[in-house]
Amino acid sequence: MASKISVNGLVKSFGHLEVLKGMNVEIAEGEVVCLIGPSGSGKSTFLRCLNRLEKISGGTVIVDGFDITDKQTDINKVRENIGMVFQHFNLFPNLTVIENIMLAPIELKKSNKEQAKKKAFELLKRVGLEDKADVYPTKLSGGQKQRVAIARALAMNPDIMLFDEPTSALDPEMVGEVLEVMKQLAADGMTMVVVTHEMGFAREVSNRVIFMDGGYIVEEGKPEEIFNNPQNSRTIDFLNKVL
Amino acid sequence: MSIVGLLKENYMTLLTAMGKTLELTLLSLVFASLIGLLFGLLNVSKKKWMHVVANVYIDAIRGVPLIVLAFFIYFGIPLATGIKLDALIAGIISLSLNAGAYMAEIVRAGIQSIDKGQLEAARSLGLPYGTAMRRVVLPQAIRVMIPSIINQFIITLKDTSILSVIGFPELTKAGSIIIARNYETFKMWAIIGVMYLIVITTLSKIAKALERRISYGK
Repeated sequence: MASKISVNGLVKSFGHLEVLKGMNVEIAEGEVVCLIGPSGSGKSTFLRCLNRLEKISGGTVIVDGFDITDKQTDINKVRENIGMVFQHFNLFPNLTVIENIMLAPIELKKSNKEQAKKKAFELLKRVGLEDKADVYPTKLSGGQKQRVAIARALAMNPDIMLFDEPTSALDPEMVGEVLEVMKQLAADGMTMVVVTHEMGFAREVSNRVIFMDGGYIVEEGKPEEIFNNPQNSRTIDFLNKVL
Repeated sequence: MSIVGLLKENYMTLLTAMGKTLELTLLSLVFASLIGLLFGLLNVSKKKWMHVVANVYIDAIRGVPLIVLAFFIYFGIPLATGIKLDALIAGIISLSLNAGAYMAEIVRAGIQSIDKGQLEAARSLGLPYGTAMRRVVLPQAIRVMIPSIINQFIITLKDTSILSVIGFPELTKAGSIIIARNYETFKMWAIIGVMYLIVITTLSKIAKALERRISYGK
């Protein structure tokens, strides 16, 4: 199958500090890939390079056939097709829940107000929050905020969803509701790249687990291979600490 | 003459002059806000030249006293170019340029106070930088900026008195003309001081009430 995301020799430096030291990853359509690894290993930076929230220092990243490292590529067009969910939700506090979801489709003229509203309600229903449409984000719990953030990321009908530690800022009792929505998305065939510390989710939902450390991919494979029979000593160390 | 007598004799002149003061303040603040928004946005831009342009303007204005700027614009420029400026126009230009630099700093600080995750989330949806600023970052930044804008409003209102030196008939100029006639220095300056005090206190109370009204979702 053709790659949905194709990363070749990706390098990312912040000043003199090289955070990603040449990454090669192919992600197929409909695949759910979990990135695990210790903090500072470059997982989030890697994810943020996939929609160029981080300026890419070297190598190529091809998403949906568009080389996003090429200056000629209209990055905004590519981003419409890549939803992103952040650790700290980043909902817009000046807009209501439904306005948060409708903002991009309306501003980017994807749909008129009526269509956008209808779509937003569908998405809210999907994440179980249709009764919160007209409240401001400050009134929501963490889990509800993250579900709205997922709905917002889905509003442009993306083919790819990026999740940057989506449950790390949540109280433990709220993690489940967010993972449930993500599982549903995975079951619907969404291509997903998930940076996570939720090993249960990685084991259960993903097609592939990538273990990163020190800016490299140390080991990757099917979740049962990585979790049951890790090969590299650093992977073993990490999994011993977190499991 | 008693204070009441002075007020009876001069209230029309004083109120008209207060009107001129407010006119000058409001017009200048409108222009200063536009200048401030423009240079504030340039200042937070990632493009280096924009940053430099904004800083040159802000540093130049902040490094020159308002009275010198006003003399330069009202007396200097007409001599060099032959274009005679009306005192109101020269006053508005001086005050706008002056307050604009401070507004630019207020805008910059306001934008920088907003978590950068807000811009990232907006950009990740495919919104261009300008749209993300207009719909997401600036509406939040303006809320943060309101107390500083009120403060700048008050400073600009008081700064109008400096423009009495170019002969613009605002409140301070009107006061000195009246005093030149009646020699009631103590009482007249007291009256004028109280007039400024009343207007500024009232305006800042109104602004505070406005500030409370536009807080959302809380």
